[in-house]
Amino acid sequence: MATTFKTFSNNDKTSTRTMLHEAIPLTGTIVSGTYNEENIKNYSHGMFQSVYDYPYLSSSANHILDITYGISKDSAYSSSTTVQQEKKLNIYNQMAQVLVGYDATGSIRLFDEDGNFAAGGATIDEAWFFNFSRLLTKDEIKKGSFEMTFLTGGAATDAVKGESGAELTIGDTGSANDYRVNSPAGEYGILYTKSSGSTGAFSDGYDGYPCGMIYYQAGIAVLTASIFNNLHVPSNVGAENWVGLDAGPAAVGSGSCQGLMTGSEISGGVEGVRDRIKNISFSNTTELNSTIHFCRANHNEFNYSANPTYLSASQIVVKDKAADSPVAYVTTIGLYAPDNELLAVAKLSEPIRKDPTTELTFRVRLDY
Amino acid sequence: MPKFKFSPKDILYNQIRLYPKTEFLIYSGTTFYNQRAPVSGTAVDDVPHVPNGYVSLYELNVDRPSTAMIYPFITKGGSLSSFSTVSTTNFNSDFAYGDILSGSYPLSSSITRQHYAAGFTDLDSGGRNYRKRIEALRNTIEFYSNVSKHFMVSSSASGRDLAAVEMNMIDIPSIFFGSNIDKGTIDLKFYITGTLVARAQDLYRNGEIVVTEPASSTETVVGLALYNEGFIILTSSTAITTEFQDDYLGTGVVQNPTWNYFGSTGSAATPIHSSSYTIEFSGSTTSPTLTMFAHARRGMLNFSNNPTYIKYSSSGSVDEELAITASNMYLESDKKYIANTISSSYSQAEEPFEKQTFISRIGIYDDDDNLIAIAKMATPIRKKESDEYTFKLKLDI
Repeated sequence: MATTFKTFSNNDKTSTRTMLHEAIPLTGTIVSGTYNEENIKNYSHGMFQSVYDYPYLSSSANHILDITYGISKDSAYSSSTTVQQEKKLNIYNQMAQVLVGYDATGSIRLFDEDGNFAAGGATIDEAWFFNFSRLLTKDEIKKGSFEMTFLTGGAATDAVKGESGAELTIGDTGSANDYRVNSPAGEYGILYTKSSGSTGAFSDGYDGYPCGMIYYQAGIAVLTASIFNNLHVPSNVGAENWVGLDAGPAAVGSGSCQGLMTGSEISGGVEGVRDRIKNISFSNTTELNSTIHFCRANHNEFNYSANPTYLSASQIVVKDKAADSPVAYVTTIGLYAPDNELLAVAKLSEPIRKDPTTELTFRVRLDY
Repeated sequence: MPKFKFSPKDILYNQIRLYPKTEFLIYSGTTFYNQRAPVSGTAVDDVPHVPNGYVSLYELNVDRPSTAMIYPFITKGGSLSSFSTVSTTNFNSDFAYGDILSGSYPLSSSITRQHYAAGFTDLDSGGRNYRKRIEALRNTIEFYSNVSKHFMVSSSASGRDLAAVEMNMIDIPSIFFGSNIDKGTIDLKFYITGTLVARAQDLYRNGEIVVTEPASSTETVVGLALYNEGFIILTSSTAITTEFQDDYLGTGVVQNPTWNYFGSTGSAATPIHSSSYTIEFSGSTTSPTLTMFAHARRGMLNFSNNPTYIKYSSSGSVDEELAITASNMYLESDKKYIANTISSSYSQAEEPFEKQTFISRIGIYDDDDNLIAIAKMATPIRKKESDEYTFKLKLDI
C-alpha cells in the first residue's frame, strides 16, 4: 500500500508503437485439399467456399480463407451468365461497396486496375475474391509481403506443376512505400504479375502487369479474371509470353475462364481455381501500443516504508543506530488514476534498495 | 433512424465467473488432457504440433510440415521491443536497428512433475543446503500458514521439512485454470492395473490434500495445494498398498506405490504400464460483461426508413409518386402513403390501417456517433404504436 504518491509530468510519459509480424505460408496442398476435400466447406447458399487448414469438423481446424468471384453488371460476362447470375452480380456489388465505395452520383464504383478513379482507365469487371481469415491477417497484412503463385497450363496435374515456367506469381511488390488510401476499407496495394515466363522485367516491381489489389486491413485479395484467361493479354508482356490459365481449370473443363465464370456454379468455379493455387504467403501485423512511464524516485523520496515489518519496537529495523540513514526496498510500483484508484501494478523481479544517497528511475511499460 | 441515450440505470457491469473442469490422465508415459487422444496428421504425428497432454498457444500450425511453419518476427526499432527469449545483452549486441528477430511457434504448455528424493538438491555459495524451487515458493507457501499448519515449509507441528523430505511436486500452468484453482475441486486418483487403489482430495477447501480412499487411510493429510499459484505438493512416503510394486523411480528397482510416486511414469526408455493416475480440478475464470437495456417506448419507433415502408404505385399515379424531379427541381411528394402491412385473417380483405414496424437490429453508438456495435435479433420483432419493448443486450468484454 502506497503512502506516497507522485504525479507524472509530461516528461515522465511517452508512447511507442511496435509492429509484431507473423510469416504465414499457405502451401497449395492446404488449399487444393490435402484431406480429400474434407477441409473445404460448401454452403447451401452457394456463394463462396471456405478453406480450413484441417478437416473442418475437427476442433483443431482453423478457418484460412473464403474464395468466391463476382461479375459486374458492366461486364461482357454479365448477360451471358446462365448460372447463379444474380448471386455473382450481388457478390461483385457487395465487395465493391465495401472495398471501393460509391462515386458522386451514389453509384457503386468498379474496381479500378490502378486505383486511380480520377484518371479513369481499365476496370476489373470480373473479379476473384480471396477473403483471408482475421486469425491469419490479425490487424493487417504487412505491405509488400503478399504473394500468390498459380499453376498454369492446360491442366493442373502434377506433371504440369513440375514444369519449369508453368507458374504465375502475383505480388504486391513495391507496396511497402507505394500504396493507395482511397478505399473505405483502408489501405490497399496493387498486385502485379511477375511470371517466370514474362519478358517484362518485374524485378523493379513496376514493370509487371497490374492484375488486382490487396486490401491490407480488410485482408481481401481481389484478382482480375483476366489472369485466368488469354482474352486480356497485358500489352507490355506480349501474347507469346503470357501464361494465363488459358485452357480453364481442369475441374470444369469448359475451355475458358469465361465459360467457367458464366456457366458454372460459384463452388465449381472456385474448385477449379483452388486447384491452381501453388502457394500463398504473406506476413501479418499486430500493433503493439505501449505507454512508458518513467517513475523517478529522487534522493529524498521513498526512503521509508509503510510495511508493518519496517518497524520493531518503534524502531526502523534496518537502522542500527538513530543516526543511520533510512533504507527502503522497492518491490512494487502502483499506477493510480487522478481519483487515487489503483489501475495497474508493476512488480520488480527483485527488491531494489533505496536510501538518501541514491536516485532511481523505473521504466514501467504498459502494453495494450 | 432515431437515437436514444442510455440512462445510468440502463447499463450494468457484471462479472461472470466460470469454473472450467480439467482432467489429466497419465498413463504409460503419455499425458492425456481432457481425454483428448493424439490425432495423427499427414505431416506430423500429432496434429497440433505439440505432444499429447500439451496445449498449443494460438493453435496455428495445424498439421504443417516443419518447412512451412507460421512464425513470429519483429524488426528491431526505436521502441526497443523484443521477444522475451532474447536477453537484453543479446538484443543490444547481436542485433542492429532494422534487423529481424524471429521466434517460433507453437508455444506449448503442460503440467510438469518433479520428484525429490530425501535430502537437499542444491548448495549455495555460503555452504547452505536448500532446494531452489522450495526456496522460491517459501514465502508463498508460508503465506497460507494461517489456514493450515501444513503450510509451514519447516515445522515441528507438521513434522516435516519441505526442503529436505522426499517430495512430489506437480506444477499446473495457469493456462489450465485461469485465475485460480477452485477450492474443493482437486481430486487425485491412483490406479493400479485399472483399479482405483487410492484417492486424495482437498475436502476441506483449505489446501490440505487428504486421503479419501482407501477407507483405512482417510483423513490423512498427504500434501497441500497452492490454489492461486497452481502447485500440488505431495509428501507421503507411506505405502498405499504392499501388494504391488513397480519401477516408479525408473532405476530398475521396484517400489511400493506411495503418493510421492503419484504421476510417475518410470523411465523414458521403459515406461511403467500398470500404474495410471488422474488429476482433476476446476479452474476459475472471470469474464466482465456489460449489460444494456434498450427501450422501445410506446408511441415511438413506429416509422422505418426502409423503402418498402412506403406504398409504391404500380401504375405510377401522381398522388402516390414519391418525388417529382426535373432539371432544376426535386419535389418530394406530400402524398406518400405508408404501406398497410397489417395482415388480415380473411381472403381478399384488407385490415384497417395501423402503423407497425419490425425491429431487426439495434446499433450502439459512442459519444461521437460512431457505430461501435450491432445487436441482431434472431427474428424481427413486430412493434405497433401501443407496444412497448425492452431489449436486453449483453456484451462480453
